[in-house]
Amino acid sequence: MTQTARDPALRQLVIDWLDDNYHFGDAAEMIRDDGMSFLQNGILDSLGFVQLLLFLEERLALQIDRSDLSPENFDGLGKIVTYLVAHPDYRGA
Amino acid sequence: MSETPAEAAAPSAPSTDRVDPLTDFTRALEARTGRRFADHAALHRFSIDEAPIFWRAFAEFSGLRWSGEAVPAISGGEVETARFFPAMRLNYAENLLYPRGDAERAGPDAEVITGWTEAGDIVRWTRGVLRDRVERLARGLRDGLKLKPGDRVCAVARNTPETIAAALACAAVGAVWSSVAPDMGAGAILDRFRQVRPTVLFTDTQFTYQGRTQPLAELVATLLAEVPDLRAVITLDDADLPAELGAGRVAVRKMTALGGSEDAPFDYPRLPFDHPLFILFSSGTTGAPKCIVHGAGGTLIEHVKEHRLHGGLTGDDVLYFHTTTGWMMWNWQLTALASGTRVVLLDGSVSHPAEDSLLRLVDAEGVTVFGTSPVYLQYLDKAGIVPRERFGFAALRTIMSTGAVLHAGQFAWVAEHFKDVPVHSISGGTDIVGCFVLGRPDAPVRAGYSQAISLGYDVQVMTAEGPRAAGTGELICCAPFPSRPVGLFGDDEGERFHAAYFAENPGVWTHGDFLELTEDGQARVLGRADGVLNIRGIRIGPAEIYAIVQDFEAISACLAIGQEDPQTIGGLRLVLLVVMAPGHTLDRPLQLKIKKALKTGASMAHVPAVIAAVEGLPTTHSGKLSERAATDALAGRPVRNRDALRNPETLDALAAHPDLQLTAAR
Repeated sequence: MTQTARDPALRQLVIDWLDDNYHFGDAAEMIRDDGMSFLQNGILDSLGFVQLLLFLEERLALQIDRSDLSPENFDGLGKIVTYLVAHPDYRGA
Repeated sequence: MSETPAEAAAPSAPSTDRVDPLTDFTRALEARTGRRFADHAALHRFSIDEAPIFWRAFAEFSGLRWSGEAVPAISGGEVETARFFPAMRLNYAENLLYPRGDAERAGPDAEVITGWTEAGDIVRWTRGVLRDRVERLARGLRDGLKLKPGDRVCAVARNTPETIAAALACAAVGAVWSSVAPDMGAGAILDRFRQVRPTVLFTDTQFTYQGRTQPLAELVATLLAEVPDLRAVITLDDADLPAELGAGRVAVRKMTALGGSEDAPFDYPRLPFDHPLFILFSSGTTGAPKCIVHGAGGTLIEHVKEHRLHGGLTGDDVLYFHTTTGWMMWNWQLTALASGTRVVLLDGSVSHPAEDSLLRLVDAEGVTVFGTSPVYLQYLDKAGIVPRERFGFAALRTIMSTGAVLHAGQFAWVAEHFKDVPVHSISGGTDIVGCFVLGRPDAPVRAGYSQAISLGYDVQVMTAEGPRAAGTGELICCAPFPSRPVGLFGDDEGERFHAAYFAENPGVWTHGDFLELTEDGQARVLGRADGVLNIRGIRIGPAEIYAIVQDFEAISACLAIGQEDPQTIGGLRLVLLVVMAPGHTLDRPLQLKIKKALKTGASMAHVPAVIAAVEGLPTTHSGKLSERAATDALAGRPVRNRDALRNPETLDALAAHPDLQLTAAR
């Protein structure tokens, strides 16, 4: 079972943000699987990643170490959810 | 103001052992006039009080190529109608391709254009190659397509060397150039091009951003169907468009196929100083976008003055200024060729394929002057990117920033995390295709401020007590200046032009910015004074948003404003206030539908961060919706025009609206 399946609320939070700010209803359709790269598939650019990060920090009341802000941790829905769920201050979406 | 024969001395060419062009020019002006300029303030004062002498001296110092006379330098004393150098004739392209001074010494083999794509492809053109490309194309436009001086040419163009060649070829024959970036929505492009009525369209056939390639054939087909008078389409990237696109009415050609084969030098026609060069677009709170016509001479001499005297640009410099072809900074950086400066371009994203791709370009190309924006610097900061830990930036000597207010803390961030070089916060805009306030190479930088008012520009602030040289108020310019537009296209009587810039404060140019001017001549832009918004460094006219939202039956009225938000990149989030039609509610599907329509019809920058349903919108007694009142109310400031509203209670409702609190989830 993937992390995203274990935390559907967090997964939906990210998709809703993508819809509100970039894809306006098409985000779920564009993300064909949770391993899909956001950067390589035009889902989010680097500026967008920073905006998403700021949103998640505020909404989830946690701080993300900027040295963790790498494609390995954030470039894809599954990676984002996995990272956040493992964050010591994460209390749920 | 006078100009005596003694002052009209021989031209003073730049010396070869100079410190910087500003110092050289000041010395030359002192020698010419017998005056001593003890400091920059004295020089600026002279440039206003003795404007004809100043401008003639600079024209001759600059080494620009012209015919005719540099006297009179200014004809008429009214800001709205004065003309600069009415007896002078010149060609903008000739001056960029055949610059004098340092650049001339470097010759045709010097690299002058470097074009990067985000995919990593690099094109390098020498001055000789650029001349050849421009002159061949100019012959094709003149002889093949019968393009004449004054004809309009529009472009949907990537930021590439080919676009520069096309723009200069148009200028070479005296045609008037207007370009937009290829990611602009079809509706917004039509609102612009339909007014300008071009006979020739340059276009790329596709563009790539952040790794995604999008074709432009459908957009071109729409333009061909909707823009009258078009008789030729030329592909900048030399690729094919579908054969049926022209439908027999319009010739579709590749750019390289248009050029002639003749090797003889191109004969650049020298045209009046005010001959139209560019049409730039600016959208406001009402009506269609303004089509602002800028003259060749005013654009050229002002840019050269800003580049050399304020930026210190010479033939030894390498300039990168981040822009698209749809922003006036593209035109501004283009003119740097006239100072012999190498211009570096980026076609694509600043952060693809790597988050620091743009920084890599700046370092690898030996950029000496890096033009960026507060938004990009904030992005680097928020993303935890420390440029100096990744690159050396050995050649970099100045960073320029424009597009939004550069806050004092960002100056410190640059010094600590980027490179400890002077930061020039420069500001002006589309309306003047240049700057009112900017830097200077001969003085330390004060964080948060622009170091100088543009030489020759009588910039003041309009306060409750009237115009003042120091204080806080709306930016005005009280004396004629060369980069004032020659007019608005299609506004033959000048009524829209007058209404846009001269109606609010008769006799002076009113720019639309709030400004603080210090006693020692420094300046700090505080934001916009009108309803125009600055979202992530891009100017947004609410009228373009209204034009799209009015098509939604569920919405009976709307208002677009900016809400200051330190958590948003750029510091301002776009808010759309809507009054729902009876029987409709603002649910999530409708919100997404509105956002999507704005993205496709205008651009991503036009998409609001928040859409909020309200019972009413602040409306004046004369029935006009007031962006200013709503903006003040949301910011928690006293509403300046509260007494002029017939429904001031709407402001209280706005201030208390749950979706508009900055702590609200977004």
